[in-house]
Amino acid sequence: MNMRKYVLLGFAIISLSSCVVVKEYEKVNINDPDMKLSDSSVERFKTNFQVYREASVGGNGGKTGGGCGCN
Amino acid sequence: MKYFLIILLPLITVNTFAQDSTKVYKKRVLESTEVDFLMSYYTQDGDNASVTGGIGTEELTDLTPTIVVSYPLNDDDVLTIDVGISAYSSASSSNLNPWDSSGASGGEDDDDDDDDDFRKAAGSVEGSPWVASSGASGQDTWANGSVNYSHSSDDRNFIWSGHVSFSTEYDYTSIGFGGAVTKLFNEKNTEITFGAQAYLDTWNPMYPTELDSYLETEGNLNNGFFDGIEILNQDGNAIDKTGNSGPIWNPENYDFINDKARNSYSVSISFSQILSKKAQASVFFDIVHQQGWLANPMQRVYFADKDNYYIGNPDGIPVYTTKENTNVFHLADDIERLPDTRFKTPIGFRFNYFVNETISLRTYYRYYFDDWGVNSHTASLEVPIKIGGKFTLYPSYRFYTQTAADYFAPYNEHLSTDEFYTSDYDLSEFDANQYGFGISYTDIFTKARVWKYGIKNIDLRFHTYDRSNGLSAWIISGGIKFVMQ
Repeated sequence: MNMRKYVLLGFAIISLSSCVVVKEYEKVNINDPDMKLSDSSVERFKTNFQVYREASVGGNGGKTGGGCGCN
Repeated sequence: MKYFLIILLPLITVNTFAQDSTKVYKKRVLESTEVDFLMSYYTQDGDNASVTGGIGTEELTDLTPTIVVSYPLNDDDVLTIDVGISAYSSASSSNLNPWDSSGASGGEDDDDDDDDDFRKAAGSVEGSPWVASSGASGQDTWANGSVNYSHSSDDRNFIWSGHVSFSTEYDYTSIGFGGAVTKLFNEKNTEITFGAQAYLDTWNPMYPTELDSYLETEGNLNNGFFDGIEILNQDGNAIDKTGNSGPIWNPENYDFINDKARNSYSVSISFSQILSKKAQASVFFDIVHQQGWLANPMQRVYFADKDNYYIGNPDGIPVYTTKENTNVFHLADDIERLPDTRFKTPIGFRFNYFVNETISLRTYYRYYFDDWGVNSHTASLEVPIKIGGKFTLYPSYRFYTQTAADYFAPYNEHLSTDEFYTSDYDLSEFDANQYGFGISYTDIFTKARVWKYGIKNIDLRFHTYDRSNGLSAWIISGGIKFVMQ
């Protein structure tokens, strides 16, 4: 995927923001802990071993490498 | 400790000023101090150990107790301190010195090359990539500490944070720092975060015993480590170590590493969007640049265009690559060598959907590529299922596939004329399937207490992981979150 496609993808996603505005009082489902757009704290160890055992890293809002003799 | 004080003093000052100026009510970012006790136990096994050149036992266990304390300095600021260790035992790493039957740290010599102890064992020298050695390199502890400070604006639409970290293990030290800014807008339906971080890491390199000793003895195979030890050729016959009557083992490519730094710099952008009352998504984009010694000096490489030489039982040579070999070891031709820069580009996408009061869907996809030739796809699905008001089950599945790095080849297939080479199967082509299950207990009223702290959450997760090249692993993780009452 080249940079142009990334830019197009970015615009497509940003354009979603104009689709709907959910008010604070309507966010009861969105605010559910299982709807968080990140891993729970206990998942960090699973991510750590994946960083060691796989050549890929990053792209998940967490650590992107460094700090260990691994990836 | 000096660094922690340097960081903490300004934060305490900020806290003092902030308390004076906070006159109006606003919801605190963090209501009260939270303490997370986390722990995991990981174990793996496989047949492609990188320390022994791409074959051999990969048996490893790892225990990681961790504590995370989040402390609200005031309504807007949160200080988080994260301290943990990772105590691991690795059969592969132990074979840095595969012949060590007496234990490297058991003698007077405190290093891991074991040349002194080795000579004591001469005559009964046995080592194998399939058998763990008792050397000191078989166990190590990685210790890590980090401090994160975050500040939220009064309207909670702007957040900035900074962090510093330090970690150390026997052959590796790291200093990390970074920061991020987050802007929320569109009535908090949209969130953009920019972050940057750097890790300045340093090797304290440990080398395979035979290679280390080769340089120490300046290639004299009748001296030091090699004194009194027979070296066998592929036919199992002892060679004339003087080289007067035939070829001898000569790792001519090998030298100590000349750059002990490994630095990683990254910038990250993430974009999150609420799509409806039940759906939200985010995109994560990172650019990571690494430079320095990116290979691992512990990892052996064997060349197809070089004669093979061994130490141990000649009967094991014909079955060297099988587990039947318990007592002969192939002398390395070199350590792995990789480029001194690497440019990584991951892009990840999450989409979460609240199906109903019982079920949610958590999905994730990542595409990754780098300039070493690795391309990968990661896809995962987790389906939280609420049971009653306090319990949630977490079945999950993750699929991962990657292409091999340009510099990878299996055991004894590299050429000595190559510039870069590795037999680390973490850089090979493979697929991986991961299945998981978890259970969580949450009590937002924290009725159960331990001293002044109420139990807010208990988490337990189990995952199995199987790679198409034979490595299998499982991990069990647990965590308890306490909230100060």
